[in-house]
Amino acid sequence: MAVSTPAASSALLEHALVEARYHNVDPVYAETRDIRLTGFVLFLLADCILFMSFIFAYLYLRTSAPTWPPVVNGHQIERLDVAFGAMNSIVLFGSGVTMHYALESWKHLQRTAFNAWLGATIVLGIGFLLGQAHEYSSAPMTWTGSTFGASFFTLTGLHGFHVFVGVIYLVILMIQANRGVYTGSKYFGLVAGTLYWHFVDVIWVALFFLFYLW
Amino acid sequence: VDVAAHPHVEQHSAHDHIHPEPTGFIAKYVFSLDHKVIAIQYFITGLLFMLIAGSFAELMRIQLMDPKGTFMGYHTFNQMFTMHGTVMVWLVLIPLVTGSLGNLVMPLQIGARDVAFPWLNMLSFWLIPVAGLILFSSFFVGAPAAGWTEYPPVSVMQGVGGELWCLAIIVVGVSSTLTGLNFLATIFKMRAPGMTWTRMPLFTWATFATALINLFATVALSGALLALYLQQAFDVPFFDPARGGSPILFQHMFWFYSHPAVYIFILPAFGVISEVLPTFARKTIFGYKMIAFSSLSIAILGFAVWAHHMFPSGIAPWLQIPFMIITYLIGIPTGIKIFSWMATLWGGRIQFTTPMMYALAFIGTFSFGGITGVFLACVPADLHEHGSYFVVGHFHYVVAGGAVTAFFAGFNYWFPKATGRMLSEKLGQAGFWLFMLGLTGTFLPMHWLGLEGMPRRYASYEVFAKAYPDAVFWNRFESVSSFLMVASVLVLAINIIVSMRSGRRAGNNPWGARTLEWMISSPAPYYNFRKIPIVLDRPYDFNEPLPYRNLDDETDPYPVPTEAGGMHRQPVPAGRA
Repeated sequence: MAVSTPAASSALLEHALVEARYHNVDPVYAETRDIRLTGFVLFLLADCILFMSFIFAYLYLRTSAPTWPPVVNGHQIERLDVAFGAMNSIVLFGSGVTMHYALESWKHLQRTAFNAWLGATIVLGIGFLLGQAHEYSSAPMTWTGSTFGASFFTLTGLHGFHVFVGVIYLVILMIQANRGVYTGSKYFGLVAGTLYWHFVDVIWVALFFLFYLW
Repeated sequence: VDVAAHPHVEQHSAHDHIHPEPTGFIAKYVFSLDHKVIAIQYFITGLLFMLIAGSFAELMRIQLMDPKGTFMGYHTFNQMFTMHGTVMVWLVLIPLVTGSLGNLVMPLQIGARDVAFPWLNMLSFWLIPVAGLILFSSFFVGAPAAGWTEYPPVSVMQGVGGELWCLAIIVVGVSSTLTGLNFLATIFKMRAPGMTWTRMPLFTWATFATALINLFATVALSGALLALYLQQAFDVPFFDPARGGSPILFQHMFWFYSHPAVYIFILPAFGVISEVLPTFARKTIFGYKMIAFSSLSIAILGFAVWAHHMFPSGIAPWLQIPFMIITYLIGIPTGIKIFSWMATLWGGRIQFTTPMMYALAFIGTFSFGGITGVFLACVPADLHEHGSYFVVGHFHYVVAGGAVTAFFAGFNYWFPKATGRMLSEKLGQAGFWLFMLGLTGTFLPMHWLGLEGMPRRYASYEVFAKAYPDAVFWNRFESVSSFLMVASVLVLAINIIVSMRSGRRAGNNPWGARTLEWMISSPAPYYNFRKIPIVLDRPYDFNEPLPYRNLDDETDPYPVPTEAGGMHRQPVPAGRA
């Protein structure tokens, strides 16, 4: 092997430190973590079915409608503003990226970077919710006026509720992490939070396609 | 690690860290985390709801003794059949079959100390009485009267009662989903070493298939009912044709869950039968793998048959034919099970105990209900039979003749394990004959009444009785017979009370069965197993020695409970470990 530079050797040292943390996990904790991960993934799958049942309703109503967007009181409803939706999507997807780096920084024991990335995620999440609020106030239809409005507000509302819960969840994780609830090898809560946040992102991919692009 | 080849493997895992048993009344019996106590809670709750829903049914039967139907008002009658169906399906069958039997038996059969998430298990149970309270509170504001299926537009026209109905069933749905999640995680992650998938007892296999449906179908029902609730409470037009919505959409969403829901009751029933038959025939189960995989294939196919409930609702003919054919396909795995059970009995040494009587009766009653189901799945036949008493007869043969009969088999079989006492065999047999006579007398005539054209859900059948005068006799016959089933449940209740006080002590294994739950004392100790057993083979081979190592030795002391460990698998608090 080539002679290692000081930077590389510090990276190697850090790597060894992380490896040691990974592989010296208390077996009881490892098993518990395994069970909780299974349970959490099953929960996300079930949650996915909830969205799918409303997406099914939307597809059914849309494909059986004579025109789309539907006509209400003789006027066809306008399509949604794709540009604004795309911008808001970028905010949410960006928060997925920052969340990924938050967890990675935690794994590499970089507390400051972790706090910065997680803080960015929370800010972006709130930004997305504000964008949704703007979208709702300027929407060309109402919740009760048509099936378009019913599907749009119910599905994005359900999703927005998930984002809202997610933001609170991330704030709690941040507080817990800084209070020392998680250690270098015991941080299942952070993994679950990351999974949840990515799940919310993935659902939005489907919703953005269904309501804005299609 | 192949544990069979290395029986000396020492385990050191979360299995070995246990908390001391709680001593306070509340922690021990009310908000218990112990799956065995929760199972008993489910049983008592389910039985109470069964008495309530059963009395609704009896009130309907009294009404139908007279073709004019003067015993109660027509709207009251509508409320009665709505509440009877709702309570029986969601507050009796689900708590009894999956909640009670699943909770009691599955963790013991896989050699676990508890389910994966005991706290969630407790929550699942307590949601059931909450749902019951929400549902019954609707009697004060006008109980729902649109039938247990609550089709719009009728269901959205009935005011607050309908909203309460939606909320109650959403709560039950959350409870079922959490149970499904819990059981799946338990079966995935907490099987004893050596218990591979093809060594799992068949009741556990059935519970696994049920949990899959619970997790994936129940959420879809919650979605459907949430949409219905939004329309009732906030006038959101999902199902309102005037604003582009579709009532048929609700039927699609509802049956996408509710057809698999039938398998939520019947798959554990299959599991019970697969345990009881080999034990009392003293013979290896025939076709272990086929029975296990047929449960899975029923669970999977069950997601693709829902529209067979909707043939007359106006769905496209090209859609009807595939749904008919897939429904027929379910006959194949079901037939595999029926024939495997009969082959298990062939050449066995059969003991006619009460659980065995129920199990044998199940094969007949369930097959009958299954065969009438084939008639109903056939599009042309269904167009004639839909909405008639033929459907009611079919459904009750499957549910009362299938799920409830198998539940009684399982109840009589595992009661000694849950309580440590044997049930009275005399009372058990008396209850069995009362139930079977009542079942046949009540539901068999419904088939020919339905074929003659008697519509279901009518509070008065005066017009039909003019066309078919025998209807009066048969309806009275049904009403009288139905009281035999009530008598049978009362005999069961007496049996429980008498046996709890003075029943014979059961010992570890009163039936000479071979699955893991019978290898420990009755009732099972708080930690289930002193040492986690090691499993070497399937449990059903009655000619071989028991396929377990590391079984309980009565002389061994319990492991010392540790505060830091987690029998209940709570995470070890940070900084402590």
